[in-house]
Amino acid sequence: MLQPQQAISAAAAATQAQDPPESGWESATEAPPKQVALAMERLGRAARVIADIRLGADRLLEALLLAADSPQQSTSKTIELIRKEETAMRQHSDDLRALGKQLEDSGVLSGSLKSRGNSWGLHMPLVCPDGAVVAYAWKRQLAGQAGASAVDRTRLALKAFTDQKRRFFPHLEDEVSSDGELGIAKKHFKAQGSVISQREEFREKKSLFDILKDLEHQFPNVRIFTYQRLDWSKRASLLSSANENLIDPLKDQINHASNTRSGSVNIAPADQTAVIELLVPSIFRSVVSLHPAGSINPDAVAFFATDEGGNYIHARGLSVHHVFRHVTEHADKALQYFLSVDNSLSLSLLLHWICSHETLFSKPCSKCGRLLTMDKSLALLLPPVHRAYWEASATNSTQTESTRSTKATHPDNIAAYHIGCSAKMS
Amino acid sequence: MPVKWLMHWQPHAGATVSSQILAEVCQCVEGFGGATKEGRWRTTLTFYRPMARDPSSNAATGSNPGDLPRDFLGLALHDRPDAYFFILRHNRLILQAEANVQLLMDKLQSYKARVVLHFEGFQYRLGDFQLRVGKCVPSMAETLRGIMMEVEYLPLSSIEKSRQIMENFFDIWQETLAKKSLPGRFIIDDPNLNFMDYGLHDQYTPQHTALQYATCIAQLMAAVRS
Repeated sequence: MLQPQQAISAAAAATQAQDPPESGWESATEAPPKQVALAMERLGRAARVIADIRLGADRLLEALLLAADSPQQSTSKTIELIRKEETAMRQHSDDLRALGKQLEDSGVLSGSLKSRGNSWGLHMPLVCPDGAVVAYAWKRQLAGQAGASAVDRTRLALKAFTDQKRRFFPHLEDEVSSDGELGIAKKHFKAQGSVISQREEFREKKSLFDILKDLEHQFPNVRIFTYQRLDWSKRASLLSSANENLIDPLKDQINHASNTRSGSVNIAPADQTAVIELLVPSIFRSVVSLHPAGSINPDAVAFFATDEGGNYIHARGLSVHHVFRHVTEHADKALQYFLSVDNSLSLSLLLHWICSHETLFSKPCSKCGRLLTMDKSLALLLPPVHRAYWEASATNSTQTESTRSTKATHPDNIAAYHIGCSAKMS
Repeated sequence: MPVKWLMHWQPHAGATVSSQILAEVCQCVEGFGGATKEGRWRTTLTFYRPMARDPSSNAATGSNPGDLPRDFLGLALHDRPDAYFFILRHNRLILQAEANVQLLMDKLQSYKARVVLHFEGFQYRLGDFQLRVGKCVPSMAETLRGIMMEVEYLPLSSIEKSRQIMENFFDIWQETLAKKSLPGRFIIDDPNLNFMDYGLHDQYTPQHTALQYATCIAQLMAAVRS
């Protein structure tokens, strides 16, 4: 396999050639507006490289599927395809790495530039821990227009802001017109929902609202909340201060929910929901992120203790407790499985699977029959943290025992295993 | 706040408690999975006795010493250095105050510390569990009065929800200790009945810990006497 090695060295040489001129002109000699401009440009490039990587991954999968479907024909062609993709992917990964390093150095990923003294009141764009980009670059327009009148400045700021928004949050495009008027958004959503239910009868492409309502019926112990992406960040940091009085934040949520028109389940308007929180009081809190906002496509999930609070509580964060770390790790696998099995049902399957964890600290392992055991390799005492996900979708079509929804698996039927016990299964 | 269960060492009939047993228990914890030693800890329990006032004034006002509560305990917990807890067992009352209330009591001289006991020892971390093995010693002497353990499960704060996990832990711990064939065993006193009497709820708080210590010392004293 000489070619990949040559490809790597070629890619390395390419990035080497690219790096010196950039790093030579780093932040020490530049004024803040130039730094901000550079950072924005790098973020744009990073987004493009990430998109390229995604496409490359798709192509690789396609090539593999092709090879699997027709093993006799055109093997050499698929091998060529795969080799080409591989070199392209390596190049992209190296580019991304280099970009990431530059972004890190310039303080974009950690927000450190904010605390530096002489920044002319400008802020670097900030990449939040869960991947959302908050672009502050519109402020540079104001700095340059110090002499202009207030009206002009406001107009310029608004223009720059909407440009940035359109660029970084393209899926929020249509809500600009109905900004702040939840009633209109609701009517729009409801009309959409009824049209869909009329059109599709057998294959119910459920809306987010339906999925959550369904979940509420099946699992009465689980509290379900929805948020827009930045709202969740605020809530996460409030969680740590709310630890002493657990009742209050929940009460606020319930009051808020009863004020919104769509009933007890949702808080955020369904077409802006980016984060779903499932809370089983005193057992766990699970955070699911949807991408894009308002869709039923989950892209990350994490579990935490109900007491935990702070900025790290989001769909890509990790709990401080071992038990929840292992559950989260297993949940990542389950999510990938649900996405691969059936994209439109994946959210519903995932949420049902998450809710089955309400017995995390009470249901013994289906293999060894115990609740708490010492895991030999980790040297930790853990309850069964692995819940079976491979059976969940298989029972969809053959479900006859359950008298509730035919699409969901009753939590008692989902087997739980210790880490060591599940390794021996399947 | 994470749930905590206390257990105390019950020697077999005829056996005594000794520092040898304490060393063996510590050794057992250290070999238990990936337990790491974290440091020392100390909780102090004080038995208060009401100070006898001037007898003439008592006769005049008609109050008798019997009005003043007996069985009055004060606790300084290791994980709450800024607080001090008072327990009146007979009246089922528990109170949390600031730590400098002890200075106040010294000045007021209405109660005198009759017996002061220290629960102290090493602290260990085993994954999501935090274990503390402690000896019970009087403050002015070195004689070992008893051995106890604190088991804390960090991810959960509800007593009810953590019950099974704690019971399981206790079973596993007993199994591990049984290999050492020590003359005695650890016992958990079922704290749930007590908590409701004192007005405490399912959500774990330092008051629960204080109450468990009070129960623990009563049990330890009963064990020593028999």
